[in-house]
Parts: sequence; structure tokens; C-alpha cells
Amino acid sequence: MAQQYSRRNLDFMLKEVLKVGELTQYPHFQDYTPDMFDMVLDTAEEIADKIMRPAYVESDRKQPELINGQVKVHPAVKDYMKAMGDSGMISATFHYEHGGQQLPLLVNAANEFIRGAAHNSFVMFTGLTAGSAHLIYSFGSKELQEKFADRMITAEWTGTMCLTEPQAGSSLSDVVTTASPQADGTYKIKGQKVFISAGDHDIADNIIHLVLARIEGAPLGTKGISLFVVPKFRADDAGNYTIDNDVVSTGIYHKMGQKATPAMHLTFGDKDNSVGYLVGEANRGLQYMFQMMNEARLGVGMGGTYIASAAYYAALEYAQERPQGRRLTNKNLVDSQTFIINHPDVRRMLTFQKAIVEGCIGLLFQCYWWQDMIHGLGSDNEEAKAYQTMLDLMTTVAKTYPAEYGIKAVNEGLQVFGGYGYTEDFPLEQMARDVRIMSIYEGTTGIHSLNLLGRGVTANGGKAPQLLFAEVMKTVIEAKNHEVLLPYAEKLEKELGRLQKVTMHLLGLAAQGNNEVFLADATLYMELFGIITVAWQWLKQGVVSQNAIEQSAPTGDELAFYQDKIHTMKFYFHYELIKTLSLAARLLDTEVLTVLHEEVEA
Amino acid sequence: MKILVCITNVPDTTAKISFIDGDTKFNKTGVQYICGPYDDYALSRAVELKEQHGGTVTVLNVGEAESEQVIRKCLAIGADDAIRVNTEPTDSYFVAEQIAHIASQENYDLILMGRESIDFNSGVVHGLVGEMLGIPSLSPVMKLEIDGGVAKMTREIEGGKEDVEASLPLVLGCQEPIAEWKIPNMRGIMSARTKPLKVVEPVGSGLTITEKYALPAPKGAVKMIPAEEAEKLIDLLKNEAKVL
Ligand SMILES: Cc1cc2nc3c(=O)[nH]c(=O)nc-3n(C[C@H](O)[C@H](O)[C@H](O)COP(=O)(O)OP(=O)(O)OC[C@H]3O[C@@H](n4cnc5c(N)ncnc54)[C@H](O)[C@@H]3O)c2cc1C
Ligand SMILES: Cc1cc2nc3c(=O)[nH]c(=O)nc-3n(C[C@H](O)[C@H](O)[C@H](O)COP(=O)(O)OP(=O)(O)OC[C@H]3O[C@@H](n4cnc5c(N)ncnc54)[C@H](O)[C@@H]3O)c2cc1C
Repeated sequence: MAQQYSRRNLDFMLKEVLKVGELTQYPHFQDYTPDMFDMVLDTAEEIADKIMRPAYVESDRKQPELINGQVKVHPAVKDYMKAMGDSGMISATFHYEHGGQQLPLLVNAANEFIRGAAHNSFVMFTGLTAGSAHLIYSFGSKELQEKFADRMITAEWTGTMCLTEPQAGSSLSDVVTTASPQADGTYKIKGQKVFISAGDHDIADNIIHLVLARIEGAPLGTKGISLFVVPKFRADDAGNYTIDNDVVSTGIYHKMGQKATPAMHLTFGDKDNSVGYLVGEANRGLQYMFQMMNEARLGVGMGGTYIASAAYYAALEYAQERPQGRRLTNKNLVDSQTFIINHPDVRRMLTFQKAIVEGCIGLLFQCYWWQDMIHGLGSDNEEAKAYQTMLDLMTTVAKTYPAEYGIKAVNEGLQVFGGYGYTEDFPLEQMARDVRIMSIYEGTTGIHSLNLLGRGVTANGGKAPQLLFAEVMKTVIEAKNHEVLLPYAEKLEKELGRLQKVTMHLLGLAAQGNNEVFLADATLYMELFGIITVAWQWLKQGVVSQNAIEQSAPTGDELAFYQDKIHTMKFYFHYELIKTLSLAARLLDTEVLTVLHEEVEA
Repeated sequence: MKILVCITNVPDTTAKISFIDGDTKFNKTGVQYICGPYDDYALSRAVELKEQHGGTVTVLNVGEAESEQVIRKCLAIGADDAIRVNTEPTDSYFVAEQIAHIASQENYDLILMGRESIDFNSGVVHGLVGEMLGIPSLSPVMKLEIDGGVAKMTREIEGGKEDVEASLPLVLGCQEPIAEWKIPNMRGIMSARTKPLKVVEPVGSGLTITEKYALPAPKGAVKMIPAEEAEKLIDLLKNEAKVL
């Protein structure tokens, strides 16, 4: 199989754009030297090459089944979890006191990228286990940490997040699973959870579910939701986890993609015997869960991106090997056929994919870098607070744009394969199925767009966009120093103006008091916001590349790498950034066509 | 038990190979280096033996500063300390001299190497070192157990396998499946930074001067012939390739 990501590009992002080595000056990261980061990525490559990639196709064709209440997953999942647990990778970013190694999230992101490009579905198991263990360490009692989280980070046990219910998908305020307090301080859990990823399997002796539920009598809405640890097996008197905790797999979904990860319908407490342990304080569950959801959101943006990366490199390889037709300038049928990579339309598709993959990596790694800087500077530091504000704004964009455009990019990759792309002989059809989920779970695109426009840009008097725009302007100013980049810097500056104009217009609608009209096209606003911020990331990469060309006079492959960057940046501006014209036109248009006057009734 | 593991710093198998300076020098720019895969097995077995029997594992490389990244990785996998002989490893004899010189200063029970490097693939350094130290050397060893002062081994031989025993000290060239594949873990990576890496200067000087390197001729184009068209294949083999 083709190469699935560019290590050179990951190194470029880490070392040249975000200068990961400089993080080691902060006490939080002081035990690292930059070469250790390379080793972490080498380890990821080994796990990806030896365990993950070889199982990618097979684990899709032989999907997990629920037989006699038992779910069997592909055996390589177990090997993967073991390698991740043994290598300490599950908890690598955690604090030392929580069994971690305080690895920068940025390095961990590159690590995940490498693994995800090889097998996106396996990454779900470690992502959920790490996220749920982190939640217990962050908000759970010492006892919960020792009993559960300590055994999750070694991959002895795995974790899940149980939010969704049949009537509560996007609308988590409608969660109805209940928790009844018991005399011993535990709770009895009762309810249905659907779509629970890695909710059951045969690779670990226990599964630790983090469940959102309402304690009897709690207030309505999100303020009445609490968080519980509900293990598949609970401890007997001897402290061994042998007692069936009444968490029953009532169904398994047969999904379109990511088939190696079972999505379960779980029934808690059907026999009134499902014990849960409260995490932190009552009624603060959703707030706690947001930590895991925010981690998972960036993880989903990564998912869109690394699958698109694997698809891009597969398409690139194919286009270099598939002869078909002749160049439009050549009418001589005696000449042998040309490789399809020589057709402008195929080059357009390939460059689009590269522009999306590397632009999204920019956006996501920017978010991880902000988090590392917050850890580095300490959250009370003023600069760190600014990073936190931008992170809060951009997490939703860094989930949504890479999810939506990852889907588009994989689709173009499939197109490069022509009819072969539509067959099971090539992995593109699988990638196209796998990537489709990204715009759905962890909050649909629609919901994130409501968040961005309804809250993100307006919170604290619009502080977050102000800070972000100032950050973008820094890049614009740097870019203006280079003749090659000047026109692009000017374009981006103009787009910022456009975005501000659209935002003001929409906030004007909000002021008129009709929220539905104000937010009707939030998804288009999200797209506009995403395109402009990815253009910022491209300009940033352009500046670093142009500096490298001017200052270190690279030759050969190195020169080609930087020239390619500039070329792809230009492509992004000429082919993608111009989409803001139509988006802005629609968003400024006052014709309202989707807001109903009367609600559709059943 | 004291174990010395000799490792090579070699271009990744996917690296593009090219030459510079009138084809007398290997072009190192942009090349990703790895620890020789057979050396990796030797190191993994050494770490396992240390876990079973106690002792120390020292990694030795004859090479320039650029090897240090790979050496650190070996420390991350579980070696205790490392020595780098600071010189360009220009030929097998010269390399063997350096290894023998270092080895003669300590009493190593085992000197483990890969069966061969994957850049020049001579497979001779272990034999040379054994000779220089006056101790037995065996290669390729695919199984190794230590029982008191005796090593019990399985060696690959032409068309089969051979079980052998020999007393320590020994020099061995190793190959799979001698050990479980190991990856550096986070704790190992963190501790590698503080493990000692000693740099020493070489003894003697290399015997070889490279006059010219050349790449093998590129492979010809491939023609795909459907299975049902056997006649066409025979025709092509006869009349085009002229091998029949
Ligand atoms: C493969 C897979 C794995 C999953 N894994 C997990 C998991 O591990 N844990 C877990 O808890 N959940 C999981 N989920 C559930 C997932 O998070 C939900 O499917 C998702 O939140 C959407 O909820 P829903 O399916 O009920 O869709 P709905 O909420 O019914 O949405 C349907 C459509 O209506 C739109 N919509 C809904 N409300 C609004 C609104 N107010 N305004 C505008 N548009 C709206 C949505 O954008 C969407 O397009 C998983 C789902 C899948 C498919
Ligand atoms: C920059 C450079 C220039 C070179 N120039 C020349 C040259 O001009 N002429 C020439 O013939 N060769 C040259 N070499 C090759 C060099 O001799 C080999 O890398 C080295 O000797 C191993 O090759 P081998 O095939 O002899 O090893 P093998 O005998 O195949 O190796 C067996 C085992 O010996 C150990 N070993 C081998 N080399 C080392 C080492 N350097 N440090 C520690 N352990 C080692 C390893 O465990 C290895 O698995 C050059 C190499 C480099 C990197």
C-alpha cells in the first residue's frame, strides 16, 4: 500500500511552523529534548506499520457481530491495545501523577495522525480509553482513579463515553437515564444508551463506561445531568471484578464504515442491578464531559484529516501509474497513453486533496499548540488566557471543517481511481465509508455551527474573534515582506474584512430578536469561517516555506518540498478561498426561505 | 551478565540512494536513518536476557555524531549505556578493530551483533571480532538461551537448522526470531535522555578508499499478460525477451 502520510510534512509542522522544541523551555515539558519527540513518532510508525495497516481491510470485511450477548472484534485490536498500553502511549500526555509523561499534545497529535492514517477505526479504542481515563483523573475521586483509570491507561481495561439515547442525540438536555442513590453512596443506573462506540468487545476483561444520567429529582435540562463510572463488571467482596453489573448489549449497529469498532445499543439496569459511581459533584456531569468531548472533537477533525491523507497518497500513487488517454495537446493515437497525473483535471483533484489535508493539519495542530502553551505558561498567565479563548472558539471549527472537507477530499481521491475506486479492489471505497461519520458524531455539523455563531463569536463581547483576527493579521504582516506572498496576504486581509462584515450583519439579525432567522444559515457561516481560517494556516505555512527557501537555500527534494508548499498555498487561495464570495453573498442575502412560520406537526 | 550490542546506523530501506563527489560519497541529505534490523533483534534479545538474568546492556556504534539519534533509540528500548567510536566506518576490518578494542577493555559475556548490516551486507564483522578477541563467533543465530556459563543456540544453516552449545564469552550474529520485536515506550524514551553515552576516538585507520559507487541498472518495464493468454506469454518470452 502507498505511503499514507508525509512524515516530512509532520516534521515541517512540528519543527518549522510550530517549533515544538521551544516547548521544552517550560517546566511542564522540561524533561524532554526535541529528539525524544522524533522517537515518539518512530514508535507510532512501528505500531502503524506492524499492527494497524495490515488489518485495515480485513477488519472491515469481517465486522464484529453480537452473538449470544457477546461481541467479538478483530484480533488485531487486542495487539494494538497491548502495544499502546505497553508503550505508555495511551496516557502519554497525562500528568506524571496520573501515570502520564506530560508529552506535548502537539507531538501526540502527530503520533495519532500516523496511527489514524493506517487504521482510523482502531484509533477509536485508544481515543475513548484515554479520554475516559483522563476524565476520571481530572474529576473523579482518588478511589475511582486507582480502581479504574490506573487499569485503563495500561490497556488492561478500555473505556467508553455514553451520552446518546434514542431521544437524546444532538439534544443532550433530553437525557433520561436515571441514577437512584443507594445507602452506600453508589447509584443504581437505569436507561438506554445508543451508538456506544467500543461499547462491548472481547479484548479486555472489563469495560468502563462513563455515563451521563439524571439523579432522581435533578433539575430539567443540562443542569441536571451527572456523570457516572459504570463498569461492565463490578468488584466482589475480595475486590475482584467478577460481578456482572447489568450492562447488557441489546444490539449492535451494522454501520457504513469504521466497522472494526462496534457501536452498541446498551441497556443499563434492566434487572435493577447496574451500579454506578458518581464522578465529582452531582449535576455537573455535562460540564465534566465537555473535557472529553472537546478532546474528542479535535480527534474527529483529525479523523477527517488522516483518512483524507491516506486517500490522497493512494490517489497520488495511482495517478502516477495509470495510463489513460493522451494529453489534449497530443492528437497522435500511435503514441502510448499518458499517465492520468498529466491531465489537468486529475492534478486539480490531487492538489485539492493535498490542500485540504495539509491545511487541516495546520488548523488542528494550531489548536494542540495552544493547549500546550496553556500547559507551558500556566492557565493564569494572560497570554495563556488568550490562547484558551481562541481555542474555545476554534475547537468547533477544527472539528467541523476537517470533517466536512475530509469527506470531500476522500471523495475526490476515489474519483481519481475512476471505476476502480468504486470497487473493493482498492481501499478508497472503504476510506469513503469510514470518513463519512466525521461530520455526524461528536456533534453534527449543524450543531457545531449553531455553537459557533450563536455562542462562539459573541461570547465576552466578541473577544475570541478579536484575538483570532489579530493573530491572523500577524501572519498577514509577515507575509507582506515577501514579494511572492504579498498578493495572498492582501487577499486574506480582504477576507477578514468580509468575514467581519458578514458577522456584523448576522449579529444585526440577532438583535432583531428572531433566533431562527439569525441562525438559519449557521452551517454556511461555519464554512465561511473554516475556509478563511484554513487560508490563514496556508499563508502561515507559506511564510515558513518562503523563509526556508530564501534563508537556507535548500536543493533537491527539500527545495521541491517548499516549492510544493507555496504552490499548494496558491491553489488553496485561487480555488477554495474564492468560495467565500458565494457564501458571503448568501449570508448577506435577506431572503428567508428555510424558516417555517408554523411547525410541522406529526 | 555483561552484554555488548553492536549496532549500525543505516539508511531506512525506503530511502532514495544517490551519490555525490564524483560518485565517491553516499549522499546523506534527506536520508532517514534506522538501527539495522538484525541489530534490533540482537538488542531486543539482550534486553530480554538482562530481564531474565540481570546485568547490563551496553550499545556500541562505530560512526559519526549523526548516529546518536539511533543510539538514543536503543537506550530507549532498554540498553543501559552507550559508546560511540567517533569515526566514519569505512570498512569492515576497521569497524571490527574498533569493536575488538572496546571489548578488550571490559569482560563482556556476550557480544551480540546483527547477522549483517543492511547497507553493505558483508556479514563479516562478528567473525572478525571473534578472531581478534580469540573467542568463538557464530552466525546467524536465531535462538539463544543462557544456562549458567553456557549459551544454547539454534543457528540457521544451508537448508536447515543446527542446535549448538558454546561457553561464554561469545560473539554472535543474530537474526529473527531470536527475540520479540520491541518498540521504545514512553518511560524508555524519557529515561534515554539521562543514560550515559560515551564518545571515544578510534584506534588505527581504515584500509579502504572508495573509488566509485554505482547504482544497479533500473528495472525494465513490466508487461501484464492475462492468465488465459499463455500463448502470448510464450511468444513474448521467445521472441522479445529471447529467454526460451
Ligand atoms: C458510528 C457512530 C458512533 C457513535 N459513537 C458514540 C459514542 O461512542 N457515544 C455516544 O454517546 N454517542 C455516539 N454516537 C452518537 C452520535 O454522537 C449522534 O448520532 C449524534 O450526536 C447525532 O445525534 P442523532 O443521531 O440522534 O441525530 P439527531 O440529533 O436526530 O440529528 C438529525 C439531524 O438533525 C439536525 N439537528 C438536530 N437538532 C438540531 C437543531 N437543534 N438545530 C438544527 N439541526 C438539528 C442534525 O444536525 C442532524 O443533521 C455515535 C454515532 C455513530 C453513528
Ligand atoms: C559514511 C560511510 C562510508 C563508508 N565507506 C565505506 C567504504 O569506503 N568501503 C566499504 O567497504 N565500506 C564502507 N562503509 C560501510 C561500512 O564499512 C559498513 O557500514 C560497516 O562496516 C558494516 O558493514 P558490513 O557489511 O561490513 O557489516 P556486517 O559484517 O554485515 O555487519 C554485521 C554486524 O556487525 C555490526 N557492525 C557493523 N558495522 C558496525 C558499526 N559501524 N558499528 C557497530 N557495529 C557494527 C552490526 O551488529 C552488524 O549487524 C561506509 C559506511 C558509511 C556509513
